[in-house]
Amino acid sequence: MDKSWQVALMYFIVHLGLIFFMYPGDIIASTQDGHWIPIVLGFALHLAALSLYLKGLFNWGNNDIIALYMKAGKGYAVLFLLPLAVYFFMACITVVRCSAEIMTIVMLSSTPLWAVMLTFLLIPTYFALKGITSIFRTGVLIGMMNVPIILFFFSFSFQNIDWRYVFPMIGKASFLTEPSYLESFFVFAGGFLFLGFIQPHVAFRKRYVILAAIALLPFFIFSVYIPLLTFGQSTASTFNFPFIVSLDTISITWLMFERITVFLLLSLISFLMLFLSLSLWSTMRIVHAGIPALKPRYLLVSIPVLVYVVCLAIPSWTDIVKLFWWNTYLRFYIMAAIPLSTYFLASRSKKRMVRS
Amino acid sequence: MNQQIQKLRDQFSENDDFFMLQDSFLGTPVVLLGLKSLIDVVPMKLSLQTYHAAAIESHITLDAFKKVLGEADEAVGAHEIYGSILNGKLFIYFEADDSFVIMDPIPRALNRSIETPINENVMQGSQSAFTEDIATNVGLVRKQLQSDHLRVHTHTIGTEEAKDVALVYYEGRADMDFIRRIERQFAQNKNKTIENLQQFSKEILGFPTWSMVSKFNQTELPQEAAHSLRKGRVLLFVDRLPLALVTPGMLWDAFCLDSDRNFPLPLMLFLRTVRVLGALATLILPGLYVALVSVNPEVLRIEMALSIAQTRAGVPYPAIIEIIFMFVVIELTIEASFRLPKTIGPTITMVGGIILGQAAVQAKLVSNLLIIILAATTIANSTIIGLQQSLALRISKYVVVVLASMFGVLGILEGMLLICGYLGSLTAYGIPFVGFPNAKSEANRG
Repeated sequence: MDKSWQVALMYFIVHLGLIFFMYPGDIIASTQDGHWIPIVLGFALHLAALSLYLKGLFNWGNNDIIALYMKAGKGYAVLFLLPLAVYFFMACITVVRCSAEIMTIVMLSSTPLWAVMLTFLLIPTYFALKGITSIFRTGVLIGMMNVPIILFFFSFSFQNIDWRYVFPMIGKASFLTEPSYLESFFVFAGGFLFLGFIQPHVAFRKRYVILAAIALLPFFIFSVYIPLLTFGQSTASTFNFPFIVSLDTISITWLMFERITVFLLLSLISFLMLFLSLSLWSTMRIVHAGIPALKPRYLLVSIPVLVYVVCLAIPSWTDIVKLFWWNTYLRFYIMAAIPLSTYFLASRSKKRMVRS
Repeated sequence: MNQQIQKLRDQFSENDDFFMLQDSFLGTPVVLLGLKSLIDVVPMKLSLQTYHAAAIESHITLDAFKKVLGEADEAVGAHEIYGSILNGKLFIYFEADDSFVIMDPIPRALNRSIETPINENVMQGSQSAFTEDIATNVGLVRKQLQSDHLRVHTHTIGTEEAKDVALVYYEGRADMDFIRRIERQFAQNKNKTIENLQQFSKEILGFPTWSMVSKFNQTELPQEAAHSLRKGRVLLFVDRLPLALVTPGMLWDAFCLDSDRNFPLPLMLFLRTVRVLGALATLILPGLYVALVSVNPEVLRIEMALSIAQTRAGVPYPAIIEIIFMFVVIELTIEASFRLPKTIGPTITMVGGIILGQAAVQAKLVSNLLIIILAATTIANSTIIGLQQSLALRISKYVVVVLASMFGVLGILEGMLLICGYLGSLTAYGIPFVGFPNAKSEANRG
């Protein structure tokens, strides 16, 4: 059955979950002025990778990329799938650790970190155990509950802005070599890869996903510009999570809640849990393809346990930042190699099919 | 006397409502057998006499008269005869040529008439409700949906204890794979006994037992049943059960009634929004109370946080104990009002709800705000459609409350995520519980 809009919605909300945490801080740190240039550049690269990937997937037909690499040969599988699995694993670790850290800072000061991380892993594991189609249906329910909340607070976040901070519009190209800019690609690299794994179970059309990706552009831009326009570059660059801080300045007089940031954060966390469940599920698929003797069910339990152990072993925030930076090389490899290889391998197999 | 008759008499010898009458039709002696508790004997005899008189007048032969009386199938075995007598049929045995006829006599009135629904209220909709009799129920559906696409399949399930089950669907709209699957299940489990719906769903249809949400959406209303047929769902009727089981059950059934469509569109949308809000409020409000009072008071405005703290001054235990304690009282009240006769029910509600609540507040055992939350939750709980759904909702709020007591506002989110994940994972033969019955895919089916 065609589930295009479910896939598109999932794509949209998974990215929303990723955007608002690290991305604004990274972009603001990467350049002094003309922030839209790095954003648009990153977005264009993302769109290019996405469309290449989708083109490859649809040339390959109704199957996932594991089958594609397996067919191409064991060497290809090791070359591409192994790093991908490692990347998903690392992404899970960083997301769980970061979001748990933020949660304890923002609202659960007395709850131990291990308990928060445990729930952050238990829930995605539960989703993943129920299967991929179930993840998508859950995504629809969560999206219907939380997207309105996000949009509501997002629209209120324009309260304190000063448009003059937009200028100067043109900046230097020095951001290209800034480590923080390279780190910002976390947002672009993590979210689209799951599309390659869902195909035989969840069918979708290309157009919907591209539309969902384009619909994300305003969120990319304003997640950076709202803190910029609220505080100005020099103040905004001092925060770890500029968007969340700028949201803390909002006051809605008729609302009985003081800290509306909490609600935005919660919605984002729910989207991140979907991202985690997708990543766990994809990792399981790869490991299962590598070692078919392991049962998917056991893998889905043991991978989160591993993630949890690693998360517990990370002592502090600076170590997360370091981990994040080490991840950058892998991230660029994944972001370039997976779409390209998918495209070429798929078109090669298509040509062979046509010839035979 | 014939062996078969002897055997029947032996089988029924312990039943005092069994009768065996001698009579003669067109000069040949006959024996009438049946159960007095199921057949109204005097009118039955009168009608037989009328038949007889007419037969004499028109000079028809005995064989032709047998055909008038009922089916005269020689091949029917002893077991079927036994079953048909239990079913309320009259067995007429002709001694002369050792043949018999099974006749539909005048039954005793053992079914109630069609009445208004008892467990569901209808606003501006058809008022008749299903009864215990399966034929009446199918008839009600046929009245509601006069279409030549309506299909009815009846099965008798159970060898030791027989039960009629009818499967009704709209051909061209229902998912034929789904129907074939159900038919296969019926055929496979033909010999099992159905005592209740739990058994029916587990033994016959093979659905999991430990599911919070039933795979059937139950309705008493022919209008709703007909609507679900049009939407491509399947109806199952079990004899002696005054309900239609709409399968697969879907989440939106809890929010949408067909009779809503008798209102103008904006009013319908309003009603449905209210129901969704009711469900959300039931899940979130108690959790929010616990979270805001015990874990995250800083989320609230300072004035609000202070006034909440004031209402709780003097309450000697944590919010989670307080709320669970009061919820247990409410659950007891609800259960008691189900059990009690209708005349005492309101008294209990008043004693439980108002007096107990007020006294608990005055004794500083619980806070004022909690009573408000409690009342709001209980009312909101009842906005959604269907007793089963509302019960499932009532139970799932505890998940949220417990998580909220541990993780505060985050716990509410986690509870909601778990509930969403659970609902998302439910399927019946591959048809998801969370799905829109959409017209486009219906057109492609069948």
